[in-house]
Parts: sequence; structure tokens; C-alpha cells
Amino acid sequence: MSNFHSKEQYEEIINQKLNDNQLRKNLQSVMQTLKTNRKNTIAARYTDWEALRELGRRVKQNTLANLPTLLEIFEKNAIKNGFKVHWASNAKDANEIILSLMQKKSQNIILKGKSMASEEIHLNAYLKENGISAVETDLGELIIQLIDEPPVHIVAPAIHKNRYEIGNIFKEKLNAPLESEPEKLNNIARDHLRKEFKDFKIGLSGVNFAIANEGAIWLVENEGNGRMSTTACDIHIAICGIEKVIESFEDASILDLLLVPSATGANITCYNNIIRSPRKEGELDGPKEVHIILLDNNRSKILADKHYYRALSCIRCGTCLNHCPVYDKIGGHAYLSTYPGPIGEVISPQLFGLDNCSPMLNLCSLCERCSQVCPVKIPLASLIRDLRSEKAGEGRGGVLGYSNTHRSKIEKQSFMIFRNLATSGLKWRLLIYQVRIFGGFGKIFGNMIPGLKNWLSCRSYPKLDATLHSKVKQLKGVIYE
Amino acid sequence: MKVYFFATCLGSIAYSNTCINAIKLLQKEGIEVIFKKDQTCCGQPSYNSGYYEDTKQVALHNINLFNEPYPIIVPSGSCAGMMRVDYLELFENDGNYSMVKDFSSRVFELSEFLLKELKVRYTDTGEKIKATWHSNCHALRVTKSIEYSKALIRQLKNVELIELDKEEECCGFGGTFSIKEPQVSKAMVHDKINDIKSKGVDYVISGDAGCLMNISGAMDKMGVDVKGIHLYDFIAQRINLV
Repeated sequence: MSNFHSKEQYEEIINQKLNDNQLRKNLQSVMQTLKTNRKNTIAARYTDWEALRELGRRVKQNTLANLPTLLEIFEKNAIKNGFKVHWASNAKDANEIILSLMQKKSQNIILKGKSMASEEIHLNAYLKENGISAVETDLGELIIQLIDEPPVHIVAPAIHKNRYEIGNIFKEKLNAPLESEPEKLNNIARDHLRKEFKDFKIGLSGVNFAIANEGAIWLVENEGNGRMSTTACDIHIAICGIEKVIESFEDASILDLLLVPSATGANITCYNNIIRSPRKEGELDGPKEVHIILLDNNRSKILADKHYYRALSCIRCGTCLNHCPVYDKIGGHAYLSTYPGPIGEVISPQLFGLDNCSPMLNLCSLCERCSQVCPVKIPLASLIRDLRSEKAGEGRGGVLGYSNTHRSKIEKQSFMIFRNLATSGLKWRLLIYQVRIFGGFGKIFGNMIPGLKNWLSCRSYPKLDATLHSKVKQLKGVIYE
Repeated sequence: MKVYFFATCLGSIAYSNTCINAIKLLQKEGIEVIFKKDQTCCGQPSYNSGYYEDTKQVALHNINLFNEPYPIIVPSGSCAGMMRVDYLELFENDGNYSMVKDFSSRVFELSEFLLKELKVRYTDTGEKIKATWHSNCHALRVTKSIEYSKALIRQLKNVELIELDKEEECCGFGGTFSIKEPQVSKAMVHDKINDIKSKGVDYVISGDAGCLMNISGAMDKMGVDVKGIHLYDFIAQRINLV
């Protein structure tokens, strides 16, 4: 599956999403609810959220500084606990590991709890090509699987659909009666999934925290199907990005306290599944085998960069998406990547290649709201700006796909001219003078000048009043020098 | 006390009256204002597009120009943040860092300087009106000067300040963003204007020429009957300085 998307493809999908009024309405209303819930919970339940954020930042920074060692400790302890640990350096490796496990057990169906890592490696499509069906059991994932769409959001994959639309999807795809009440919709999904859960042999999940000192994995969820996918099967496969490994339960608790309110505005999730081993001798239930796949997929390349490594602190709460004034206008699909929104702009080019997805770096006004709300204080806006410098050919040059990235000569020249003017007082004053003399022509020719044309698409022509210098000179008491 | 005044590029091209009012607000407090005629732009356009080398040259032009130990007063939270905070990031691990740091420590957004350093008290002479306020993102999250700006408005007793529901949300300007992503920018400014419209106010005030040009330009095109005004024009009007 190609990760490349052209500037034109981006433009097309962005315009399509902007013109989808229902989508705009759904996104705006849900994002507003998520933002408000988060704010209220933090105000009511947390005495010092900012200090907790700082603690979370430090936990992740220390972990990342020590990641190779912690990965080894995790592997050792996980094996001791009876887990089988696999290393996947890329998407292909991870997919092949899962396929070979399925084949070894002669199974052609796998039930999935929610996992963004599985989306990142396009597992469902890969398994389908090999005759295996992957069934999503997370409610949101189920909805989008029924309409063959990727997740629109990293936490809430079907957040772009309202309950009436979901009712229609269930009616059409599951032959269910038309409903729109959340409880009834839930019951439809429940009945449908219970059939799938009956007699299933292999379940797949993601991982929220992999605890090195304990060799345990911690999964956070709200619906219970994650617990079904990981406990009611014979074999559980957990796919885990290497950055999810942390040192201790204490660290995991700190991150969990930050994760949940950031993600949904709740202060605790319905389910915290901490898995320490497969079924032991004499135990009556639980999977007989648990496989943990540690996925790199260019993460170690990110870890090696002195600034970008901080993006690996991400605990996938999605709050940067919820607070992004661009995301709530266009939705996640318009980013043409598994990971949308601010964190998506930071990690997608690094995971999938700057040459493949650089147009998404424009989808940010650098308002910095994401950096302000990130629970582990990733400087998202600064990193987006840094990646723009990679795109301009002025970064540190280590980003995946750096040398193949298309660079706009016109843009480069424009900024050279800008620099030339802005470093000379004389040239700058001449520029202002020209604006003063010719500015009026913009009203007539504005629609022929590319930048101005874009500006005028929804705004009146600005009043150009380039007379500051003469006014200052006439002002009494000012030292004009 | 002497200060430098940095008018910003938009100030010198589209908001000269605002700059004059800003200077008068300083003079009213007995401040002597120096206007360097060779001043240009803070460098945000190239910086935000990732052209760091060009931006460093522009920054060094400013740093060399404003070389005496006077405070540098900027009538825009966005440009002030660039010069005070972003320059430090830009010159991290650069041989010029300590020089940049000295410069950055002298940069103030005007409302912050008026309130924190000069402790101004304003007497409102205007009619009773209703106004709302748009927070510029960079002023809010980088310069952190918004509270000072709003505190100045609150000194005006005949002005009823009605806050927007989404005051802290970007208006869609973002400098080059509005040119590179015009359709997304349009959706953003329309949301902002819907919020403004719902408040039934006479004015929307902002402390930043970029946001103001964006919001006022779009309101004008949409035929919205709310007047967009720069913070320093507004204050000057209210205290009869114009």
C-alpha cells in the first residue's frame, strides 16, 4: 500500500470535507463536548494538573533516554512470565508474524480490540489478501469497518458519524431495525459481536503501557470488548509500539492519570486490563498463549533525533486532535494518514516518509493550542515547524524520505527575497513606499496575484495605509533615527 | 525613560494609525520613544514556513539595530513572542545565543509594558458600549500577554466586555497559513465570526493586526455589522487621545 499522496490529493479531500456540512456539524459538536469535559474534569478532580503534566513529561523523557535497556528488561521479564516476545522492525515483519501465527493455528478469523498500531501496519488489508478476516470489536471500529473507512480519530474512530447515521449503517449492513437511541444502537452492536465472540480462537489488541520491571502489559478501554478479545480466546496477540515500554507500575499510573481525562474527560476508564501472563497451570480461563509484538517501524529513527524523539512521548490520548482548530473543520481522513491532527503531522512524516506526506504539514496555523494541552508536554507546534524546515531543506536532514522530498523553488526564492528586503532598512522603506503608491492597484488586480487571490477569496481588500514613517516623523517628541 | 518602538511589518503597511496611537500611549506616560527608521519585520513569515537561515538573518538585523539597552516595545503579542521566545529557540546552539538572549529579554508587548512596568490607570470618556475580545494565539500561548490586554479594557468603565465562547480558538490567520490553506482558513474565520455575531456587540477588539485584518476583512465581505478595532486604537479613542 503506497503512503504517497500528492498536494492535489490533499487539496481535493480537504475541499470535499470542508463542503460536507453534516461532517462539520458532527465534528464540531463532539470536539466541543470532549474539550468541555476535559476542562471540567481537570478543574474538579485535579489539584495541580500542570505539575502532573510536568511529571508525565519527565517520566516519558527518562524512559526514552533509557529505551534500549528498558526494552531488554521488558523482554526478559515478559518471557519469564510466559509471554512470547517478537520483534518487528517494520510493518511487513509485524504482519508476517501475525499471519504465520494464524496459519500455524489453522485459523482464518481474528477478533480485534482497538489498536492504532494495527492500523499503522494496515493489518486488516494484509490479512484479507491472505484469506483471513479481521473483525473489529470496538464499537467505533466496528462502525467504520462496516462502511470500509479508516479511523477518523485515534481514540474515537467513528466520531464523524452521528447516531442517526450509525442507525442507518446498522440497518443497511447488519439488517438491524432502524434505531437512533445510543442504548439501542449499542444493543445491536452487542448482539452482532456476541455471535462473533462465540468460539473465537485468536484475539488481537494494542498496548497502552508495557511495564518493563514487571513484564506486564496494561490496556485501557471503555467497552469490555477489549477484555473479551484478550481473555476469552486461546491465543492473544498484542501489538505494541516500542515507545509504549515504560519502567514501572508507578510510571504507568502517572501516565494513566493524564491519559484518561485528556482523551475523554472521564477520570477513570471502565476497564483497566493488566495482563501479567498467559493462563497458568491449573487456571480455568485466559488465553493459553500470549504473543507480544514489539513494533519499531522507524520509531528508533525518531528516537535518534535530538528534537523529534520527544514525539515518542505520545500516549495517544488524542487531545491535540480535539483542540486543533484545523482538525475540527476537516476531520481525520483529510490528513491521508493513519495518524491525523497535530501528533499525526509530527509522526506521520517520520513513520511513513516526509516525501510521502509533506503537504499535511501545511494543515496547521501554529496556534500552539496542541502544545498547551498535550498531557506529556510534547512541543507539537515547534516540531511541526521544525518538520517544515526539513521540507524546506533546512532541517537536520535525518527524517525518513528527506532527500526525496519535493521542495518548492518558488517558495524558497520568495523567502530569499523576503530576507533580502527585511535585512535592509532602505529596501524595506522602498517596499513600503511601493505599497503606498501601488497598493490601490491590488483592488483591481488582486484576483490575478496568487497569494492575494487566496486572501481575497473570503475577505475584503485590506486598507493599505503605508504612511507610518511620514506620520512618525511629524509626531512631536519621537526620536526618528 | 527611553524605549524603542517596533512597529511590525503589518503596522507599517496597514496599521499606521494604530502605531501612532501606541506611541502616544507611551508618550502619555512620559516615555521617550525612539523609532529606528531601518526597522523591518520580526521574521515570522519565513520562520513559520521553516526557512530558518533566512529568518536568522532577519533576526540579526533587528538585534543589531536595537542595540542600546532600552526596552523594545511591540504593539503585537505575536511579533513580541517571536522576538522574545522564538528567537531563543531559533538561535539555540548558535554562537550568537547570548546576544540574542540579551535582546529578547528587552522585548515587551505594549499592554504588558503599560500595565506591568508603567502601572497605567485609564479613565474612560466614551459612551456605554458592548465589545468582545479575540485573543491572538501567539500572544496567548507564547508571549502570554493577553491578561494584560484584557485588564486594560476592563479599566474602561463604560465598556461592557463580553467574552467569546471560543475566545482562545485561532481565527485562521496564521500568517502564511491563510495563503497556503485558504479554504481551511476561511472555515476558521467564519466560525470565529459566528461566535462574534452571537454576542450582540458593537466592537470586536484584538491586540494583533494580523488577526484583525483577517477577521475585519471577512466580516466586511460577509456584511457583518460589528466593527473590528485594534486594542490601541480603541484605548486611544476611549481616553480621548486621538
